[in-house]
Amino acid sequence: MLRFLSLFAAALAFAGTAAAQTISLGASVQLTGPVANTGRYYKDAYEFAIEKINAAGGVKVGSQQQKIALKLLDNQSDVNLSVRQYTQLLTQDKVNFLLGPFASNFVLADSSIAEKASVPMVQGGGASDEIYTRGYKYIFGTLPAASDYFGSTVEALGKLNPPPKNVALLFADDSFDVSVAKGTRELLKKAGMQTVLDERYSTNASDFSVLLSRIKSSNVDAVLVAGHETEVLNFIRQAKSLNVNPKFYSFTVGVPSADFRHALGKDANGASGMTAWLPSASLKDKWFGDAEQFAKAYKAKFGYDPDYHAAAGVAAVEAFVYAIEAAGSLDAGKVRDALAKTNFESLYGHIAFNDKGQISLPQIMIQIQNDQVVEVYSGGKFVNKPVYPLPTWDKR
Amino acid sequence: MELLVQVLVSGILLGGLYALMALGLALVWGVLNIVNLSHGALIMLGAYATYFLFTGTGLDPFVALPITAIGLFVLGYVIQRGVLNLVIRGPMFNTLLITFGIEVILTYLAQLAFSADFRAINPSYAGNNFRIGGITIPLMQVLAFAVAMALTIAMWLFLLHTRVGRGIRAAAQNLVAARLYGVDPRSIYALTFGIGSALAGVAGGLYGTVSQINPYIGGPLTAKSFAIAIIGGLENPLGVIVGGLVLGIVESLTALYAGSTYRDVASFGVLILVLILRPTGLLGRTA
Repeated sequence: MLRFLSLFAAALAFAGTAAAQTISLGASVQLTGPVANTGRYYKDAYEFAIEKINAAGGVKVGSQQQKIALKLLDNQSDVNLSVRQYTQLLTQDKVNFLLGPFASNFVLADSSIAEKASVPMVQGGGASDEIYTRGYKYIFGTLPAASDYFGSTVEALGKLNPPPKNVALLFADDSFDVSVAKGTRELLKKAGMQTVLDERYSTNASDFSVLLSRIKSSNVDAVLVAGHETEVLNFIRQAKSLNVNPKFYSFTVGVPSADFRHALGKDANGASGMTAWLPSASLKDKWFGDAEQFAKAYKAKFGYDPDYHAAAGVAAVEAFVYAIEAAGSLDAGKVRDALAKTNFESLYGHIAFNDKGQISLPQIMIQIQNDQVVEVYSGGKFVNKPVYPLPTWDKR
Repeated sequence: MELLVQVLVSGILLGGLYALMALGLALVWGVLNIVNLSHGALIMLGAYATYFLFTGTGLDPFVALPITAIGLFVLGYVIQRGVLNLVIRGPMFNTLLITFGIEVILTYLAQLAFSADFRAINPSYAGNNFRIGGITIPLMQVLAFAVAMALTIAMWLFLLHTRVGRGIRAAAQNLVAARLYGVDPRSIYALTFGIGSALAGVAGGLYGTVSQINPYIGGPLTAKSFAIAIIGGLENPLGVIVGGLVLGIVESLTALYAGSTYRDVASFGVLILVLILRPTGLLGRTA
């Protein structure tokens, strides 16, 4: 009997160590619902990164090699559900660490769960400055600050010949876009540009005819829009049908992604935007080789091109790997401190968090020219010639 | 002044499309006494059908509309015969739940089949426009407006002057009397739901030519259609035109003078006002 008991205890102990040999990462992302077409970047990026890391042997925790397991839930594009799911991930599934959802308003709510439980969350989906001004210690982000999304664009506008004489700033009424607008307003003021229209609109607005008519009647040269992909598509289509011809327009979202170009066809040409990431071979990565190879492998695996969302998602997983190896343990506090000191090169760029937990990467200004995303302005200079002023719709 | 006229023109054109979206919902509501929460999902399916007919076979979206309409008619007929008929005498709450369920199923099937990618029906003339005075008039919106008006008026004439139309109205007004005169409610109901779905499908095809399509556009469109049906009243298809135009114009003027975030405040404000002042709708009979 005694022998049986001790065997049983040994078996239990064995089961205990076996369970401890995987590191579990939990995330709730938008697999269905209105933002599912961006949410999929995170699912695919997380799974792809973890697959690669495990194939290369996993993570070295102290003297042990451990594999990563991902627990992924679908929040149906519903913030309230995502909060419940992150709570579930921590209390019921008892995951070790958290990866983020997409979009600032989700991260704002979900990061409070992580903070309360003192479990680090690394997220590549929310850029709003609001996320980082609450003094939270357990939230880290791989998207650069929303307030600077138009930074390179405003800089480039000043160097155009002739520079636009006035600007319209339109933004949706959610956390990310309000943050972008706030930062952009400052940037425009500093650059000495005249803002003739500064207007907030409702998220998911489908009719832009009034705003476009106002842009036309005030002869606006440059239009900056901080919104969502569906709004941007409607904006451009309606600009064409109402024959509104600003000399320049730029959008915070959509422009780098393939389905944007696909939906608009030729009408996508001339749209400017920004991205913190382009798949360049100069961005080296421990697991994927470099960003160019990553983009190729990603396209082959999932059937669509990755954009910065996917790269930021991969970087979030990699940040955990580096931090866990540096901490040498799965202790939430130790890994959190290691994350704060993270410093590595990845396919997404140089990853190091500031004291608030956010990364700093310059935004590259891009423009769609001949149906291709073209890098236009980065590192303080024009890399390629922008199409400016945009030809009027009837001349395209 | 030019800006105001431009905004009014946009509001009217938008209102015409709104009216067509609401027409099917109002018809089904008036006759079957079902608030069809899956109406927006049917609009979405109509948009996809037109999109695939256009991209797959190169069929002009306006030529594709009748095919979309037939497809959606069949779907609506089957949904009514196979599902809704089972609860037609049940309490309102049951029909709400079932149509809500159908909405969820259609939406998620659409995501499985078509992915969540954004799409747009973009024929070569999609962005064309013409000018009258200083006002720019978008061609596509005018065509959509014309189709919407023509269908609404055709619907009105159909209900007034055809045997089936009179049967539908009779079933709506007094089912017992209608049955005594030989109206078969089951086939009338299925026919009505089919027509309502076909109208939703056409509205969806037109919506896809002026806006964008994804599996989730349905919900907000159901809400909009609901508001228009209440504003216009359920008695008369012409009421829906009035409701749509009122909503389009109010939304546009609000966006111009009060700011773009107040659009929905204004449109649902109108809804509440109508409910208080004229509960039967603007063109409805007064009590």
